[in-house]
Amino acid sequence: MEKRTNEEWIAGLRAGGDQQAQALEDLRAIILRGLPYAIAGKIAPNSLESEALTEDVAQETLLSVLKYLDTFEGRSQFTTWAHKIAVRAALTELRRRRWREVPLPEMEMNEDGDSSYRELADDQPSPEEQSERKDMMKRVNRIIMEELTEKQRQAMMAVAMHGFPLEEAAQKLGTNRNTLYKLMHDARLKLKKRLEKEGMTPQQVLSVFEQVGK
Amino acid sequence: MNFKQKLQRLFGLKKQKPSSSESMMQSGKSEMMQKMLTMLSKTQEVEMTCDDVFAVLDQFAELAARGEDVSKLMPLVKHHIDMCADCLEEYRVLESIVLNAA
Repeated sequence: MEKRTNEEWIAGLRAGGDQQAQALEDLRAIILRGLPYAIAGKIAPNSLESEALTEDVAQETLLSVLKYLDTFEGRSQFTTWAHKIAVRAALTELRRRRWREVPLPEMEMNEDGDSSYRELADDQPSPEEQSERKDMMKRVNRIIMEELTEKQRQAMMAVAMHGFPLEEAAQKLGTNRNTLYKLMHDARLKLKKRLEKEGMTPQQVLSVFEQVGK
Repeated sequence: MNFKQKLQRLFGLKKQKPSSSESMMQSGKSEMMQKMLTMLSKTQEVEMTCDDVFAVLDQFAELAARGEDVSKLMPLVKHHIDMCADCLEEYRVLESIVLNAA
């Protein structure tokens, strides 16, 4: 395969006819060389599943490349830009398959008005540490309940504490990844500022929990 | 696919499928709270979003693959991928491709 410059890729893909078909075929081959790095460790290589996934992703990527060709600004190799699109498509699909049946964790209030965060205090610290930690947990619970919206609490529970992919949490919450990141950024800022208002930094609160088990 | 590969695939897939209760047991409840507090401690007033980062991830990955100091050249992107596991995963795969397959 002849190595193309960025300009040659753009010209080829815009050309139409045989020239475009050749450029698409070459780009498809390049994308297929990169995709094993995205699926490594997630699905068995050389399986029917991986073959079907990479074919679908390569096809989806070529369509996206043509659709968004005008947005390529030439700040990287054209092929890196195309790989970027393929990687996101592949990982989005893999995340969907892995997490689609996992429900978002729920945060329930108990009769004392504490949230399920209270249940987090389940290690075996000393009585003093246990007491300090319990007090801090209640304080953090209260701040979370007072400052965050229900959606922000759900998102923080799912993503920041349970390791949900942002993409999947967003879908389950009826939004998109970008909006959810903004929502969580806003939530983090609110919590951070409220802690500061109460004379604490996140690092200080963190140190209370880090003492446990040492 | 031979019998061993079938078993590996079967158990590999089974192991990869998480549940919220498994996740809680694995990471530990205290660790989960620490994760959230660590994110709070790293929170900045101004942060890039996932879309902002995706727009320049190809440039960022190439710089990183060349050994450039990306935390100085593109600090907001670096900060975002430290905060966002999805974008971090995409960056790592893309950098591997740039280093090995591009």
